[in-house]
Amino acid sequence: MPTLTLKFKKDSSKIKEYRLERGQSITIGRRESNDIVIENLAVSGHHAKIDWTGSGFLLTDLKSKNGTFVNDQLAISHWLKQADVITIGKHIIEFAYGKEEAQPDEKEDDAMGETMVMDTGKYRSMLAKNVSNTGSQGAAANEPMGMVTFLSGNQGDVDLTKKLTKIGKNASSDIVVSGLTVGQTAATISKRPDGYYLSYVGGISKPKVNGESVKDSVPLKQFDVIEIGSAKMQLIHK
Amino acid sequence: MVAIESAGATDVGKKRKGNEDAFYIDNDLKIFVVADGMGGHQAGEVASGLVVKNIEDYMSRIRKNEDAEELAEVDLSLSKEANRLLSSIHLSNRVVYETASNRSGYKGMGSTVSAVFFSDSTMIATNVGDSPIYLIRNSEIQNLSVSHTLLAEQMALNPEASLQVGAQFGHVLTRAMGIDRTVEPYLCELQCFKDDIVVLASDGLTNKVTSEEILEMVPLHSPQKACRLLVELANNRGGEDNITVIVLRVKRILQKKSGIMKLISHLFR
Repeated sequence: MPTLTLKFKKDSSKIKEYRLERGQSITIGRRESNDIVIENLAVSGHHAKIDWTGSGFLLTDLKSKNGTFVNDQLAISHWLKQADVITIGKHIIEFAYGKEEAQPDEKEDDAMGETMVMDTGKYRSMLAKNVSNTGSQGAAANEPMGMVTFLSGNQGDVDLTKKLTKIGKNASSDIVVSGLTVGQTAATISKRPDGYYLSYVGGISKPKVNGESVKDSVPLKQFDVIEIGSAKMQLIHK
Repeated sequence: MVAIESAGATDVGKKRKGNEDAFYIDNDLKIFVVADGMGGHQAGEVASGLVVKNIEDYMSRIRKNEDAEELAEVDLSLSKEANRLLSSIHLSNRVVYETASNRSGYKGMGSTVSAVFFSDSTMIATNVGDSPIYLIRNSEIQNLSVSHTLLAEQMALNPEASLQVGAQFGHVLTRAMGIDRTVEPYLCELQCFKDDIVVLASDGLTNKVTSEEILEMVPLHSPQKACRLLVELANNRGGEDNITVIVLRVKRILQKKSGIMKLISHLFR
């Protein structure tokens, strides 16, 4: 039976030891209702959990505020291995299998380690079973959809549906902005896997995001205010 | 005009007999491609080879003669260059698909593809499958590709349900080149800047070397040396899969400016 040893910081003595049974799940968090309670403000109410999955123990971060780390790497979900060190706030939990206890065979995964393509039909039906919302196409579901809305200098909204939205004086720009010092293409907004980015392209006056001048490229967050020449606009996620 | 310094390396690794990866670098055309093939009996090699070759053919044919352009389907929300790159992907998908369906030995073969193409001032990154494309800019590393794996898509849709899928499905691709008559690549286009570094790799590298490690190592070395060091590192950590990496660095960007604007922008710099 594996054990979980809770400590405050790495080399201090243990606070408590917990036994982890196969077939059992345990929760970690600040609230009393958790199996492992860590009373520290750096720990979320329901911070993480560990589940037995039939072939091993799976640690899952429950979208905690400060994150869960395994061996100093941020973990969202992680298959626990012998001697893994879980860090939550300043506390650490060491995971160890008992002596002579059978550990999940890592070799088993080798066959699956090879890349392969899934039969799409089979995949879609699996998705349907697991996920209620299959209307959207895979990872695209998470893709941001944003628009910029003018605060001054012009009126209306512009949807950021293009991969690359051009802003500038040139009439062919997606967002036309006037001003003597504004470049033909002054800036572009590109849609990247992790969200929108604004880049400076040309012209004497550089674009500003939240008042800060942009010299190359910055990520855009919801409600960021973009200024180019006399125009002021705000990014809104839909 | 963008001037680029680049290097690429591919290695069979320590466990596999053949190398199913392929890559292609062209500093003149400014196109960089990595493909990771799959399907036994050398078919994986054939698939990745076909992907790379057909992209190369299409892009160089168009450069010689712009009229030869045969855009599969023009997406007006994308730039001309992005459409061009997508067409090359669609074309090579069709070639792999037809080869796979016509010859029994090649049945079921497929490949990932990750490609970066530069226009006058932007870079366009596109991918199908799970070969990552990283951008290193201002000492940060960011992903320009989307992983088309079961796990990644499940995570995006519903993190809770993804747990039921299990880690063993991490390598199951939901999209690949040559599996279907059509394919839907992910694409993004962004402004490029001097000193941007782009790293394209097969998962043989990125299963062994984290993006943080790439961020630490690559900017310190020339593209050539960075490629060699990354391959070595992956091999030292087991090298179970074929390892392929391309590192490219934007040396300078020459902006086209008309005479008077050039003068003015010099004065105001």
